[in-house]
Amino acid sequence: MEPLSIVRLLIRVGTAFGVFALLARTLFGPRIASIIGLTWKAALRFRLFWVIAVLLIGSVILLPIVIKDDGTARGFTQILLTYTLSVVTALLGLCTLWLSCGTLARDIEENQMQIVAVKPVARWQIWLGKWLGLVTLNAVLLAVAGACIFSLLLWRGQKLPANQQRILREEVLVARGSLKEAKPDIDAEVERIFRERTKDAPVNPANAEVVKKQLREALKVDVVRPGYARRWKIDLGLRKNFLRDQPLFLRLKLYAASTNELGTYALRIEAGPQDSPERRAIDRTFADNAFHEIRIPPNLWDAAGVLTIDVQNRDRVALAFPIEDGFEVLYREAGFALNFARGLFIILCWLALLAAIGLAAASFLSFPVATFVSASLMLVALSSGTLASAVEAGTIMGVNEESGEAGKSVLDYVLIPMFKGMLKVFQLVQGFSPIDALSTGRSIEWTTIGVAFAQIVLLLGGLVALFGIVMFTRRELAAASTQA
Amino acid sequence: MAATLSEERRDPASARSDIVVAVRGLSKVFKDFWGRPKARAVDGVDFEVRQGEVFGLLGPNGSGKSTTIKMLLGLLHPTRGVIEVFGRSPRDVKTKARIGYLPEESYLYRYLDSRETLDFFGNLFALSKEERQRRSEQLLEMVGLTGARTRAVGEYSKGMQRRIGLAQALINDPDLVILDEPTAGLDPIGCREVKDLITALARRGKTVILSSHLLSDVEDVCDRVVIYYGGKIQAQGTLKELLATPDAVRITTPTLPRETMEKVLEIIRRDVSEDKVRIDTPTQNLESYFLDVVEKARARAAETSGVISGAKVAAYLKGEGEAKPATEKILERFTAPMPVVPGETRVASTESKPALDEEKLASLAKPAEPPTPAKSAEAAKDAPKPADLKKADQKLSSLLGKRSE
Repeated sequence: MEPLSIVRLLIRVGTAFGVFALLARTLFGPRIASIIGLTWKAALRFRLFWVIAVLLIGSVILLPIVIKDDGTARGFTQILLTYTLSVVTALLGLCTLWLSCGTLARDIEENQMQIVAVKPVARWQIWLGKWLGLVTLNAVLLAVAGACIFSLLLWRGQKLPANQQRILREEVLVARGSLKEAKPDIDAEVERIFRERTKDAPVNPANAEVVKKQLREALKVDVVRPGYARRWKIDLGLRKNFLRDQPLFLRLKLYAASTNELGTYALRIEAGPQDSPERRAIDRTFADNAFHEIRIPPNLWDAAGVLTIDVQNRDRVALAFPIEDGFEVLYREAGFALNFARGLFIILCWLALLAAIGLAAASFLSFPVATFVSASLMLVALSSGTLASAVEAGTIMGVNEESGEAGKSVLDYVLIPMFKGMLKVFQLVQGFSPIDALSTGRSIEWTTIGVAFAQIVLLLGGLVALFGIVMFTRRELAAASTQA
Repeated sequence: MAATLSEERRDPASARSDIVVAVRGLSKVFKDFWGRPKARAVDGVDFEVRQGEVFGLLGPNGSGKSTTIKMLLGLLHPTRGVIEVFGRSPRDVKTKARIGYLPEESYLYRYLDSRETLDFFGNLFALSKEERQRRSEQLLEMVGLTGARTRAVGEYSKGMQRRIGLAQALINDPDLVILDEPTAGLDPIGCREVKDLITALARRGKTVILSSHLLSDVEDVCDRVVIYYGGKIQAQGTLKELLATPDAVRITTPTLPRETMEKVLEIIRRDVSEDKVRIDTPTQNLESYFLDVVEKARARAAETSGVISGAKVAAYLKGEGEAKPATEKILERFTAPMPVVPGETRVASTESKPALDEEKLASLAKPAEPPTPAKSAEAAKDAPKPADLKKADQKLSSLLGKRSE
């Protein structure tokens, strides 16, 4: 790069900073804007920003080289996006917790906060300024990492075989919407069947829960016996007007009641209205316990916009289609770049919540304790599967696999309701899976973005921020040990 | 200043309107994690500070003066009592907009340079960019850091950090300036400049609260002081009130001929017995008074959360073996006026009660050069020269620029 270009670049960066500073001043006022600027300066002067940026870029570039994909467009994309985005999220998440605890707790412990707090700036403005500083810092780092991932994806995609490049372009690097049948109310269905079957032969109340649990498991899949067919009716609604002449994709997963030698199972799939000449049939074998995608010709829905799909089991074993993972129809909704940006936005919402948690902990705890508490909270959130198992078993003592009996503990009366509450809170955060959606080419809809922002940032982040601000406002900023 | 205050005291309404800081029944108890009382740092303190006053908080380490200041700034919450600054809570944002604070140590951001530091704090006062730049330039010039404006504050020496700390305390043209140990870490010239600045601020109607254990700082600039010990106020008032000895009379004259002295003493001996007459130079000063107050408080075994000094300096440091008796020294001083040596230790009058000595009296009666008692000589040395004051005032005028004197 020529010296003149470097000067131009520096001028542009400088101008950009000036523009950001002006924007922050206009949006939040001079006080909050100056705290945001201070957080940025601290990150840049302590070289934290650069270290994190190098770590992110390094991991984004190195990881796909180390991990091999299967050579298909889908495999390549899935591996690259899943691993790089997961590593970026984990790295930024940990850095955010550490930075957020440090930026407030250390200011308090090293007494700089004493000089800031005696100026005409409310404590909530200091707190909010720090939080906005961290969020904008994360946004920039995430954008840099995202740009690297995106460029890498396009660059390495060029090395795929021609047919895989077409799939990559048409089916993978797209934002596809998903349509499913309306989800049945499983709990209501369980109750109905239980009542019906126990009407004449009452079940011991002690065993009622076990029976209901078995019924619930059975209802989580659609079982298709050999020679039988299951019909799915997918209502396209108003989308039919936008999807004309566009191919659709059927995504399915199946389990076999018993495995055969090949591990694949024959299905006949017919799509289109029952007696229509347009109706198409596909005969294929499918491996069990894996996702499959089948291209469906365009315009096979009926006048009402309902796409009928019949799946006939042509194998000798019963096949089960899980309801949760879905038998779904995918359609192209938008380009990948915008979808990728939306996915990154959800990750940013998570990071914003982590920043709020770190700041809230630092509002009343010392730096090491705040870091420990926030990291522990994140660890608990990540092990929500264990909590869910305990809630499902109804005890923290586990279930005896041989006898099937669940242990009991007095603590269950306290912990199980607490776990339930925690899971509900975690669900508000974890109910979004941008990495999974991006790696499978699924569209992250604007409504999803809105809900994620409302749930993660406004609701949970707001509650955490409220707690943090109250604690920070009540806190005495001059420790007894510093008194003369 | 004292005269003005006396006049105000006669008019309570006027006095009330001029009260900048009001502290009533203020107590602070530090507690441990379990909420158990750990130390009573401030105990039932009452005082008021009026507009334009330079008010000193004096006390040994741990006496409660910094805790009081931090409660005045809203950094600590009082356990009991009321604090009003400009008639409002010290935590009110409007109150804080009128305060400038210099903490006892540099608590500035180490990664910012001095210009960025002032710009950051100027932003917190919502000053315009032009105003921030103008004030920053003038403040940096005033504290002598123009040449080091682009160096990170973390690289500064302690004295330089003190100077930039002082500059940030003045960025908002505060009506109330709270200075905690303002001369700590400064060289003598820096100390003088800070004192000049305080004087200039007071002349411009600013109120200054000064906390220090350096008695000369307080004596030079303060109108009124409170003396803390064990978290309680042991004494308060104007320096004149505190330092006066009401049951004694001092006549200060130029050196008199022996005959005149004998006549004067003869007349005095008619009413007062000889052992009650003392002749010395007027060396009563704040330091001796302060030590006296602390000594009395210690004698009453007042509880304190701070340091309790053994009140004795190690013998090898004092060089006691070579010392002349105190009485000898005093007589030497007042009978043979000598040029004042900078840094010379002044002997407190309360520590020595010399009896009359004929020989010394003879020397006292010598026709002599103009007397230069320690106090007046040092006062002359320390007093701000008109030119210095003018310079400081000019700097302040150009910086603050709003009020006329």
